[in-house]
Amino acid sequence: MNMNNVIEFDKDKCVGCKLCYKSCFVDVIRWDEETKKPVFKYVEDCVHCNYCEVVCAKGCIKVVPDFKGERLHQTFDKYK
Amino acid sequence: MNNKQQVLSTDVLVIGGGIAGLAAAVTIKETDSNTDVLIVEKQTTGYSGKANRGGGVLQYFDFNRVDPMEFVGYHANAVGCFLGDQEQMLRYVKMNNQMIDKLIEWGVKVPFNEDGTLKIIPTGPMTGMIGVDLDITLQVRRTAEKKGVKIIDKVTVSDLLTNNNEIVGATGYSLLDGTFYVIKAKSVILATGSQNYRVINMWSNGRGDGIAAAYRAGVEMRNAEFGNFAQLFKVKSHHELVFNENVLYNAWDENITKNFRWFIEADINSTAIAEWYNQMAAGRGPIYMRPEESPMTQDDEILFTTDAIWSRPYGLKLWKTIYEKCHSVDTDNEVAPGFLGEQSPVKVNHDMETTVGKLFAIGDVSYGGSTVAGAVPAPPGRNRGSGILNAVFAGMIAGEKSANYAKTEGSAVLEEQVKACQERAFAPLNRKAGFTAKEVIQELQAIIAPVENSIYMTEQRLKIALRKLDKVKAKVSELKAEDYHYLLSCHEAEAMVLSAEMFFKAALLRKESRGWFLREDYPATDNENWLKWITVKDVNGEMTFGTENVPIEKYPIKPRRAK
Repeated sequence: MNMNNVIEFDKDKCVGCKLCYKSCFVDVIRWDEETKKPVFKYVEDCVHCNYCEVVCAKGCIKVVPDFKGERLHQTFDKYK
Repeated sequence: MNNKQQVLSTDVLVIGGGIAGLAAAVTIKETDSNTDVLIVEKQTTGYSGKANRGGGVLQYFDFNRVDPMEFVGYHANAVGCFLGDQEQMLRYVKMNNQMIDKLIEWGVKVPFNEDGTLKIIPTGPMTGMIGVDLDITLQVRRTAEKKGVKIIDKVTVSDLLTNNNEIVGATGYSLLDGTFYVIKAKSVILATGSQNYRVINMWSNGRGDGIAAAYRAGVEMRNAEFGNFAQLFKVKSHHELVFNENVLYNAWDENITKNFRWFIEADINSTAIAEWYNQMAAGRGPIYMRPEESPMTQDDEILFTTDAIWSRPYGLKLWKTIYEKCHSVDTDNEVAPGFLGEQSPVKVNHDMETTVGKLFAIGDVSYGGSTVAGAVPAPPGRNRGSGILNAVFAGMIAGEKSANYAKTEGSAVLEEQVKACQERAFAPLNRKAGFTAKEVIQELQAIIAPVENSIYMTEQRLKIALRKLDKVKAKVSELKAEDYHYLLSCHEAEAMVLSAEMFFKAALLRKESRGWFLREDYPATDNENWLKWITVKDVNGEMTFGTENVPIEKYPIKPRRAK
């Protein structure tokens, strides 16, 4: 579990296809019915599965994983 | 808090829109197109679950080359270690070709050779593998909708409704606006996946809320102590590694693989994880892999980031993106274990029916509880390519049986029970002070994820883990949520604590090592005393354990020294 992944979004390129919202399997992305654009509401729960980035035909989403902040929770200091 | 309520009725309610739930829903419609089927999924059906994020492979048996019983024999000896239900495994193997044909019929894309035969890679003397594109669940969703299956997304089921130990429906709420749902059904199929404790990204969607709902409804569990799968991951990117346990080295450049692997094995074994721990504890870490030394690992990317072997255009884009990002940070080959869990303890019989009447459990929620595979966690369970097919297997069986229940009269939903479920579900929204789900989950992860607590165990370490867990458990009744998204996180945190308690307590009872299950203090397999399944059940609020004898006398494959 890591709360520091970043999702970059270029709203001008977005055509409102809703696929990013549908493809998120951990409820990070919500949909604004008025603007027809995604709302990245719970980014702290993003697990960088990369689906939203990949399904976007217009290339408006980029998931930037925080690899260093991700924890393995092993006992040895290096891997906590 | 939203006070809106929706009351719905259906013949069969399927909870969970991953590949298992979809396979069941389509099968019901194929059995009887007049049966009303409703899938309720907490995220989006077709994108949820693991089949569309996993390895994209299906296990294949060429029956011209292998007799199904030969595989059952191999599996009982080398994988299930005599804790598996050999009759059900035989049935699974025999259905293999039929299931692959069904998936193709349902629109799933698999690669073919130019002559129209399936493009199979041999993976051993008995098995082969077929690639499957990652839009598998989207394709089956389309088929389900064409056949008239109704789907509600973004609604999470929080409790199951029973009357006289028979299922009568379920309650849940919308993640978007909190509308409370009461869904009446003549039969319910639970397809909510395994418990993965949210540690490793791809597996993070299996959070055990279905397991917990079943437990609260009085469903018996089985094999809870086999919920401790781990794999090796690259340390920098946490990228999953497959077969790299064959080429591990310590800081002294000693090949440590030879300490735990004496012959070529089908998949990772928990002994590899134990060896990582032993080396680290002895100060001989960090542990590195040398993928170039094994033909199984030197070019493993080709399968995913090119279409040289299988054409899987949908998945290719995803895999390429993931690999590229990992490569940007992976400057070395250091490895460490990542804990996946994969607890799947809902007990079912050969029809996939639970101990509560007309309630079925399929896919990763009941893999361990079905005992189909024995002493391993949920798929792949050291049996690569079996995850999707086990889900389809269970879905097809449960689908057919539940369609029959749809013709019967259902019992009444008890209003008092509905009210209690609603109060319980929404309680964290009403607390002003308390603990967040994240605090509880992170404390729990620190207890269950270390490999010496959950994979290479001792009585002392398990008891310490349980004492720590007690402190976390005390916080569950004080979880607070500020909206419906965080409310779901609270329910998931509660489910994780329950799963961990079942795991640690069952693991303490099993005083032996068998298959994936390793006790440092009991290293031998004890066929005299432990050809048994451990069961767990809520009895008047107490977690109560029991055992069932494995009916080894009626199975064709027996351990050498069993009486």
